[in-house]
Amino acid sequence: MKHLQKKIWLLAIVVLIIMVVIWMSLTYYNQKMQDQYNQILERYLIMNELNMVSQELVGSLNSYVLTPSDENIRTVERHKSRMNVLYGQVSDFRNAENASELTNYMNLTVSLVEMAERAINFQAAGETEPAKTALNEALHIADYVSEMRLSVIDKELVTYDIVYREIIDRSEKLNELGVWLLISIILLLLFFTYWFSLRITQPLEKLTNSARQLAKGRFDIKIESDSKDETAILAGTFEQMRSNLNQLFIETKQKAKLEAELQESKYLLKESQLLSLQSQINPHFLFNTLNTLSKKAYMDGSAETSDLLVSIADLLRYNLRHMDRPTALREEIYVLEQYIHIQKARYTDRLTFIHEIDEAGLDTLIPGLTLQPIVENAIIHAVEPSEHGGTIWFRLKNEPDRVIIEVEDDGPGISNEKIDELMAAREITSEKSTGIGFKNVVQRLRLFNGSEQVVQIESERGKGTKIILYIFKKEAVPVNY
Amino acid sequence: MRKIVALMAAGLGGFLFYSTFQAAGAVFYTNWHLPAESKESPDRPRVAFIMNEMDHPFWVEVIAGAEEQAEIAGVDLDVTGIYGTNRDDFLRKIEIAIYSKVDGIIVQGLDHEKFKELTKLKAASYGIPIITVAHDVPKEESLRKTYVGSNQFSAGEQLAAQLIEDMGPEGEVVLMMNAEQEYFQQQRLDGIKNYLNGHSEIETIEAKIGADSNPDISAISDLLNYYPETEAYIAVNAAFTQNLVTEIETRSKVDPYYLYTFDEEREAYALLESGKIDGIVEQSPQEMGKISVQRMKEWLDKENVPLDIEGYFTETRIIKDAAPQ
Repeated sequence: MKHLQKKIWLLAIVVLIIMVVIWMSLTYYNQKMQDQYNQILERYLIMNELNMVSQELVGSLNSYVLTPSDENIRTVERHKSRMNVLYGQVSDFRNAENASELTNYMNLTVSLVEMAERAINFQAAGETEPAKTALNEALHIADYVSEMRLSVIDKELVTYDIVYREIIDRSEKLNELGVWLLISIILLLLFFTYWFSLRITQPLEKLTNSARQLAKGRFDIKIESDSKDETAILAGTFEQMRSNLNQLFIETKQKAKLEAELQESKYLLKESQLLSLQSQINPHFLFNTLNTLSKKAYMDGSAETSDLLVSIADLLRYNLRHMDRPTALREEIYVLEQYIHIQKARYTDRLTFIHEIDEAGLDTLIPGLTLQPIVENAIIHAVEPSEHGGTIWFRLKNEPDRVIIEVEDDGPGISNEKIDELMAAREITSEKSTGIGFKNVVQRLRLFNGSEQVVQIESERGKGTKIILYIFKKEAVPVNY
Repeated sequence: MRKIVALMAAGLGGFLFYSTFQAAGAVFYTNWHLPAESKESPDRPRVAFIMNEMDHPFWVEVIAGAEEQAEIAGVDLDVTGIYGTNRDDFLRKIEIAIYSKVDGIIVQGLDHEKFKELTKLKAASYGIPIITVAHDVPKEESLRKTYVGSNQFSAGEQLAAQLIEDMGPEGEVVLMMNAEQEYFQQQRLDGIKNYLNGHSEIETIEAKIGADSNPDISAISDLLNYYPETEAYIAVNAAFTQNLVTEIETRSKVDPYYLYTFDEEREAYALLESGKIDGIVEQSPQEMGKISVQRMKEWLDKENVPLDIEGYFTETRIIKDAAPQ
């Protein structure tokens, strides 16, 4: 589950980065703000301290002039050095706005220090009066320092006014930013999570749907997956399984079909054999008897009867011999002629048989006993019922890949329903016929040709029926008779 | 439906991101409006300009001229002063300027002991040059470098000449002055008297208002009672003009009176326009400011030393009421 794990990690990292970025920028901002505050505050403190130290200096100077002790002079010196330090710091605060006030302020403190030094010098020299005057001056100046401090700080307030307002403004803006940020992040995360979960669940859902289709038995729908993670592998494997199953399914179906066809042909063969056996109680005995009768008739001077008997014998022999393998059309037509010969003897002038045969197609193979049952049908339905008899046309046309055989009569014709029934019905039913039924013939031809398109029936009521058979010249489907 | 939802989500997202970035931009915008670094080089001379009545139109013009010149000359001009005329506060300002070690002081002259002491002793000991402007002090007593302003003496003469022209060569003239002697007032008075000396028919009366030596005239109303026949009044100290006009108006018409003053009176021009007074001595305040700074700069640069101790006089002229009398 590397890929899915990666995706989850990605989500977590993105969230983490957003949080860190926000946290860092807010911290940075806070720091900046703090610095700004401190800077401004420090200015005030130092400016103020300069004034405070000035006052302390004057105070200590006063103590020194009153009681000039070493300790007092040290205090004065300490304050003086402190003032020098502060002076340096304050001079850094100069800017375009406060330059003149600040300079005045600083120079006042310098004057103060100078005056203090003068007082100390006078005092050290023992001149008390000038020292006191200088002390008074120093007190004055300290007063002015105090006054100037107010102006300086006043000026500071004015110049930094806009900065204070900015700071306040930014605090408000920060709150605003917080709200926007919160909403944005919530929305972003919702969207991201939705998208992310969709990317995981969508392929899975697709797979589930495919599985459902498979369960319903539809093996022919391709399973597709456009993701690149583990579900793709799953889908691929699944697809392979489906295609295997599908192939197996198709193969099984084909095999079953073949099996059924084989079964059927076997059945048909059995039936035809049985029928032929039934019709020939003892074929050899009958055959021999017919030959004997033929000789007897010939001897009695009835040549016609003799020929007739020979025809019957030939027909019988053909039936016995050629039931289980394809024969050439030539032989089939020979047998057909023998049969017509016999029927002519029966119907005399009522039966007219006309045949047009293309000699080139005579070598084509055909299942045995195919033509005779069809012609027999024509005689039974067209000639027999009519008092005036009928005509039967038999045509054989040769084409490059097939042979067309037409059997046409001028009988009453058959209805379309009957035609459909004859064409469609596959089951074998007994019917009114001497030998093998029409359906049997059609079925065998179909199996022989390996195609459904073997027979065509055209009929017009009162005019006659035309049956067309197509026999393909190519190697026949190997059907074992 | 799906499309609409997607579109709405996109719009909402866009709006949110825009707002967020907008807010972030406002918060993280680093350009604080801090005051600019001081551009002024430390060696630019710092000059303090100190005066009374900072809001007075006269002084506003002086300052305007001074600041203009300071810009040109490259001088840091530190204009300080007081609102009103409190002497102690004024002197305190000067003292602070001295202790602040400015490079030069331009100051309205004050004829006072403390002023003279400050300029003479303290400023000199700190090596700070002083130029008086508009009002002078005696040069020997103040050690000022020079004076820039009207020649008060000749201004007095001009005014007296105008009076004679308007009134004729005889009559009484009351000269109103402040009880406390001021140098510029004295100069004007000298000028007027000097001119009127040539006209023996003119009688001048010096009225020092509020002076202890003359308790009868403590106010302008007393003045009017005291000299009911007088028709001509000159406010040598311009501050009395408004009161005088008001007082006369309560008694009679102002028209018959000949009233003259100097342009230091705030209402002078308004009074002139309404025909209540007859003439004003107009000075050149802007010129004063300009020239004073220029001279100070020259002194500091040691270009034109020594400066003319008598002073640099600016133009004065009489402005008459345009309306016929």
